[in-house]
Amino acid sequence: MSATPLLQVENLQTHLHLRRGVVKAVDGISFEVNEGETLGIVGESGSGKTMTCLSILQLLPIHGGGKIAGSVRLDGEELLQLGEEEMARRVRGPKVAMISQDPMTSLNPVFTVGDQVSRPFLYHKLVKTVRDAMVAAAAGLRRVRIPSPERRLKSYPHQFSGGMRQRVVTAMAIACSPRLLIADEPTTALDVTIQVQIMSLLRSIQNDSKVGIILITHDLSIVAGLCHRIAVMYAGRIIETGKVRDIYRNAQHPYTQALLDAIPHLGRKRRRLAAIPGQPPNLMDLPNGCRFAPRCPRRMAVCDEYPPATDVGGGHTVNCWLAAKQ
Amino acid sequence: MGLELRNLSKHFSVRTDQGKATVRAVEGVNLEIPAGQTVALVGESGCGKTTIAKLALMLEQPSSGAVNFDGKSLGEMSRSEIKDYRRQVQAVFQDPYASLNPRLTVRRIITEPILAHYSPDRVTLNARVAELLEIVGLPAAAADLYPHEFSGGQRQRIAIARALALNPKIIILDEPISALDVSIRAQVLNLLMDIQEKFGLTYLLIAHDLALVEHLSTRVAVIYLGSVVECGPSEQIFSAPQHPYTQALLNAVPRPDPDYVPKAADGFDDTGSALEPPSGCKFHPRCPYAMAVCKIDNPPLLKLPDGREAACHLLTGPHAAQM
Repeated sequence: MSATPLLQVENLQTHLHLRRGVVKAVDGISFEVNEGETLGIVGESGSGKTMTCLSILQLLPIHGGGKIAGSVRLDGEELLQLGEEEMARRVRGPKVAMISQDPMTSLNPVFTVGDQVSRPFLYHKLVKTVRDAMVAAAAGLRRVRIPSPERRLKSYPHQFSGGMRQRVVTAMAIACSPRLLIADEPTTALDVTIQVQIMSLLRSIQNDSKVGIILITHDLSIVAGLCHRIAVMYAGRIIETGKVRDIYRNAQHPYTQALLDAIPHLGRKRRRLAAIPGQPPNLMDLPNGCRFAPRCPRRMAVCDEYPPATDVGGGHTVNCWLAAKQ
Repeated sequence: MGLELRNLSKHFSVRTDQGKATVRAVEGVNLEIPAGQTVALVGESGCGKTTIAKLALMLEQPSSGAVNFDGKSLGEMSRSEIKDYRRQVQAVFQDPYASLNPRLTVRRIITEPILAHYSPDRVTLNARVAELLEIVGLPAAAADLYPHEFSGGQRQRIAIARALALNPKIIILDEPISALDVSIRAQVLNLLMDIQEKFGLTYLLIAHDLALVEHLSTRVAVIYLGSVVECGPSEQIFSAPQHPYTQALLNAVPRPDPDYVPKAADGFDDTGSALEPPSGCKFHPRCPYAMAVCKIDNPPLLKLPDGREAACHLLTGPHAAQM
């Protein structure tokens, strides 16, 4: 592990200025990812995990009125100051690549897989001719273990199964050997049997290339075996972060504990689940204090003020007054 | 009292590059859904789970075999018996954003099934709406709002209220919580368990989330390419799966434990196709224990000594001793 982290995000804010008001999708989060490390970002829909990643890539929806503030440094270089042209040529693809959730919508149905997988090689001028790009594309498909890749180049996305499509998307993402790979719910749309395979594929890519990975998910069980560190997001903020074992064995924040208790787990049959009452807050009208407080079973008077980050040891930090008081 | 699938098959004709072909979506399924129990259908996408649910809801007609309700085949029922059957069997679907008509108020949504079968006066009807909303934990004022004014979890509660409106005996749950947020899932799951106990409901659960299936179901049927490969009490299936496919499915499930690494079975890349099912046992191309006989003979679903049923030459054939 190098001294400067691969990716350093500081006080990142992504606010969407809509006619109805300001949606604080990401509201001041800081984290880092080291070379060869996997960070899991866990949260529900609307917690800001996808917006965080789109902000790193500066791919916010054009008409969303998105404003990004803070700092995103990759290998020490500030990304938020780069223009669109530089982001497109130098960052997206060669440095940061993304795998999105649904392999059905992230591939273009009217182009062959060969067309699409060869495109990054041509766009980033890694090869000179289309013929070379096809050779590189076949090698890319082989890397993600698609059988008989040369033949498959001529197939269209609909001729692939869901798992194979996700492999194709992964092949495109790692085409330019990026330093950082962002995987946004890469297995949510897939069957469990195929899920494991994509996860082990990501693991082997990381072993080969020391790529840093950000893995976004809503399901704590999926990331357990793959991540080194976890950041739990709630309503636009990171509320707990730490090494994977600390989070699973010694979760401090009531929300993290509730998340672990609220889903059925194999081999732990119980009559009733501990449901979290209520709904996540409206991102246009957030409480001043702790954002989980209205749903929290252990809420106190002091929770009306936002809790500071408390280090409970070994880089495990929690934004909760319960931890701050001890 | 209950549902019974007898040698049920559903084939669809499709056109492919090579001309006409038949998709054998459901193939000779025998399954009992006893009253008051929760029977889960599990399997990968495309294995025929939803087609079975559609057959049970009479949204599709079987190609052969039958769905029996109280010992009588749906195909042989008179019109009034069918109308009664439709009262007894209701459904809750996966996506509450798609299953509720956005142009109707909650009151209209919930009363629609009632008005299709009865003509109650306004006072009775309003009292019933209030009662149903209370059962699913929504305020009475919700009746005059539209679906978009509710969150996903609340919408699923509305869908459950609609399913309960006719006092059904059986509810078919097709992925009831997979479209919901993690922190909301437990609320809806607990509600489903509460109303099952309160009204003595029978559930046919379709889910790909095996942890949910273990939590909710009393019996499990594992489906592979349209056929049942293993079926039995939930505890038996989850604690000691016998069919290699069930084992592979369970091994693949991730757990919230950093020291547990789910196992990927070799050669498990592709789910088979119901369009060109393999010869013999349909699972043999992906099976780590495949033998010569598996390519030729399709093993029948047979009862094992512990009472469950499985279809595998390793367990039931002359090769059973090798296991």
